[in-house]
Amino acid sequence: MNASQVDLVKDLTEAEANELLALGTRSTIASGAELFPLGAEATSLFVIERGRIALTLPLHVQGRDEDIMVEERLPGQTVGWSALIPPHRFTLKATSPLETEVLAIPRQALAGHFAKHPRVGYIVTHNLASVVGQRLQVFQAMWLREMQRIIELRAL
Amino acid sequence: MTMFLMILTISVFCFALACVAFGADSREQDVRVARPVARPSMNLQLTQSGFFAEAANTPLAASAQPPVPLEVLLSQIDRHVRLEQAAAESFLDAPTSASLHSRTTSPLVH
Repeated sequence: MNASQVDLVKDLTEAEANELLALGTRSTIASGAELFPLGAEATSLFVIERGRIALTLPLHVQGRDEDIMVEERLPGQTVGWSALIPPHRFTLKATSPLETEVLAIPRQALAGHFAKHPRVGYIVTHNLASVVGQRLQVFQAMWLREMQRIIELRAL
Repeated sequence: MTMFLMILTISVFCFALACVAFGADSREQDVRVARPVARPSMNLQLTQSGFFAEAANTPLAASAQPPVPLEVLLSQIDRHVRLEQAAAESFLDAPTSASLHSRTTSPLVH
C-alpha cells in the first residue's frame, strides 16, 4: 500500500510518512480472528493494509451476548486509536471478517518518534482528531435519530 | 250563574289542556327510555366477562409464537446499523432537520 493512501499520515511528506510507517510490524489476521479485545490495554495502533476490520460492541440479544458491528474499517484506515489517547484501553473489539493484513505501530515507538519530530506528531494528531471528530458527529446523529424514535414510540 | 258557567268552562278547558300536555310528556319519556343506544348492551357485558382470562392468557399466546431466529435478528441489526450510519453520514454532508430524521428501510424500525 502507498503511504499517500493512509489516513494517519495525510499531509506528511513522503519521507516523513515512510519513516513513521517503518516503525510498524506487518501481521496477518486470519478470517474471523480477533485483532484486539474490548477493554485490553492499547499498546499499538493498527493501519489496515489489506482486508477489513469490524469493530464491535456486545449487545444482549435473545438472552445472550452478541458482538454487534458498530463500524467497519477498510485499507488505508486506522484502528486502535486508544493507543494514542489515555487511558490507553480499547473501547471496542476488533475482528477480521476476512483475512486481513495490518501494520502494528507500538505506542512507545510512536511517542518517541513524535518527541523527536514534533511536526510529524502535530500532523498525525491533527489527522487523528479529524477522524475521531467525524466519528463523534456520526454517532451523535445516530443517537439523536434513536431519541427521535423513542419520543415517537412514547407518543403512540 | 253565567259567571259560574264561564269559570267552569274555562276550568274544564284548562284541565283538558293539562291532561293533553301530561300525556305528551309521558310518551316522550317512554321513547327516551326505550332508546337502546343509551343503555349498555348485554352483548358487551358478555364479551367483557372473559377480560381477565384473556389478559392472563396473552403472555402464553405471545410466547407460543415462534421467535425470530437469532441469525435473522443479528442480520437485521447489522443492516440497521449500516443504514443508520449511512443516514448519519448523509446528514453530516447536508445538515438539515429533514436529513437528520430521514427514514431508512431498516426492518427494525417498521
